[in-house]
Amino acid sequence: MRDMLSQLLVEAAAADDRFIVLSGDHGYALFDGLRAGYGSQFVNVGVAEQNMIGVAAGLAKVGFRPCVYGLAAFVPIRVLEQIKLDLCHAKAPVILLGDGAGLVYSTLGVSHQCGEDVACLRPLPAIAIYSPCDKFELQACWAEARRADHPSYIRIGKADRPTVHDAAIADTEPQWTNRRDAHNHERLIVAAGSMTSISTAIARTHGVPCLSVPRIKPLPPSLMAAVQSHRQTIVVEEHARAGGLFSALAEELASAESLSGRPHLAHLGLSGQFTSTAGSHEHALSEHGLDDAAVNRSLTAWITARPGQMS
Amino acid sequence: MTPQCHRPGAVFDPKDLRRHILRMAFHGQSVHVACAFSLVEICSVLYSQFLRFDPMNAVSPDRDFLILSKGHGVMALYACFREIGWLTDSDLDAYFRNGTHLRGLCEADVPGCEVTSGSLGHGLPIATGIAFGLRRLGIDRRVYCIVGDGEMNEGPMWESLLFAAHQKLANLTVIVDANRYQAMGRTEEVLGLEPLPAKFEAFGFATKECDGHDPKALARCLSDLLANGSRPGALVARTTKGHGVSFMEDDNRWHYTRLTEHDYSRALKELS
Ligand SMILES: Cc1ncc(C[n+]2csc(CCOP(=O)(O)OP(=O)(O)O)c2C)c(N)n1
Repeated sequence: MRDMLSQLLVEAAAADDRFIVLSGDHGYALFDGLRAGYGSQFVNVGVAEQNMIGVAAGLAKVGFRPCVYGLAAFVPIRVLEQIKLDLCHAKAPVILLGDGAGLVYSTLGVSHQCGEDVACLRPLPAIAIYSPCDKFELQACWAEARRADHPSYIRIGKADRPTVHDAAIADTEPQWTNRRDAHNHERLIVAAGSMTSISTAIARTHGVPCLSVPRIKPLPPSLMAAVQSHRQTIVVEEHARAGGLFSALAEELASAESLSGRPHLAHLGLSGQFTSTAGSHEHALSEHGLDDAAVNRSLTAWITARPGQMS
Repeated sequence: MTPQCHRPGAVFDPKDLRRHILRMAFHGQSVHVACAFSLVEICSVLYSQFLRFDPMNAVSPDRDFLILSKGHGVMALYACFREIGWLTDSDLDAYFRNGTHLRGLCEADVPGCEVTSGSLGHGLPIATGIAFGLRRLGIDRRVYCIVGDGEMNEGPMWESLLFAAHQKLANLTVIVDANRYQAMGRTEEVLGLEPLPAKFEAFGFATKECDGHDPKALARCLSDLLANGSRPGALVARTTKGHGVSFMEDDNRWHYTRLTEHDYSRALKELS
């Protein structure tokens, strides 16, 4: 996967002189090719991650297509506010590469481990989140992120796991890694990133279908459809339960109609978009359907709905 | 100020400390050897002449604080802990073994390490908070904070300098391990920092500069800074990354290279 990443950086630099890679003083060999061939499109901005995101936002504003590299513990965790405001609110087309996500840096300890990056980014508007499991998924995620007119985060976990797919894949939709030989459609394994190869191997042993999910946000509708067509699903990810892929699916499922025709758990809260106009607190709430009148309408409808009437 | 309590026989000889570091790095196959070597004399002088600590208790309530802000130099601290007796040789030999507690970067749950500082730019702000708190409590305990010159790229470092000077934290001494290298290159090539002493002065610090591998010079500068009345102190210690083993000196590959058996024995020979 690392060789693929190196190659993608070189190809992007060759194809587009507005493509520029920023690193916070690490990455070493990953950038050898880029630095050798396109040295001026690589900038080591120093151990200064907050500044790095601001600089990327500024570069994007004048037409560049920056790619920002850091360990996931730093990008996005250390620079979350910069991502929210400088990138997401500005819809800056910046690609964030979070390397060593999960527990890759086991011996270096807690400061270099990161099981909360997806959770931190999921609530932010405008950003796409990818968690490729191998070089082919990385390629597809990268291509989509390069085309995007908004920020993207690509989570790079343990990079030397076995390759899952046989060949390049067309897009970032969920990918079956074991269906042809799967016979058990009671149960479904959903896996992301570094956990996909082991999950696939075990799925094969037991003839259970396994879906790999390269794109976590926006959550693909086909993933929900697959989950709903199996009786039981388990999510395997090198990420905390709160806020990761499990959490994303659980939120969708809770919102979907349950057997009774009503969701067991419904949500009335902020819309997940930035507030777009000025005004009073009540006015701001109204943009999200949370002003008193809207809460009254929604809650009343919820309380008085008969089964099957409301989702 | 001399240490109030001291392990008899703990001399913090830089050669011994470097041997401990090599031992760990080899057994654990860890990186960051040169990063630890450059601050060996600084740690040696601090532990042998300045820090007040209890050899029987790494977290004794009246100890001075040593905050290693460049947490990836932590093997230098572990080496001192081994001299004091807080760690044993078998702890060093078990470095990075599954289930052990010594991580490759400074972590607060290791007694003596004080803070979790593997992410650069955290240690100095915490050190500043400790100094501020101690001053407010009217307690005479000192805070020493070792930072990297590359680490000075980080914004929070300069925010703490502003705060420490504004609050006149005379109980705080910042020591820069100025080895002119950071992870991917020369500090001056990545993000120019000089003139560093003048910057500290301009920020309101009493400032000294010396050869960071000369224990006498280090001790003299640190004493001078302590004698200074109302300002926080800064010592720019001019060091060499990898100092002490000829083939590692000023060679940044030893930031991230692991020791082979051959290099380990070559290095040990130089330190015997
Ligand atoms: C916030 C953060 N960003 C990046 C790193 C990765 N990193 C580890 S050491 C280092 C260079 C630090 O340079 P310096 O402080 O001069 O240390 P030295 O060269 O003395 O080892 C970097 C960038 C990190 N540990 N923390």
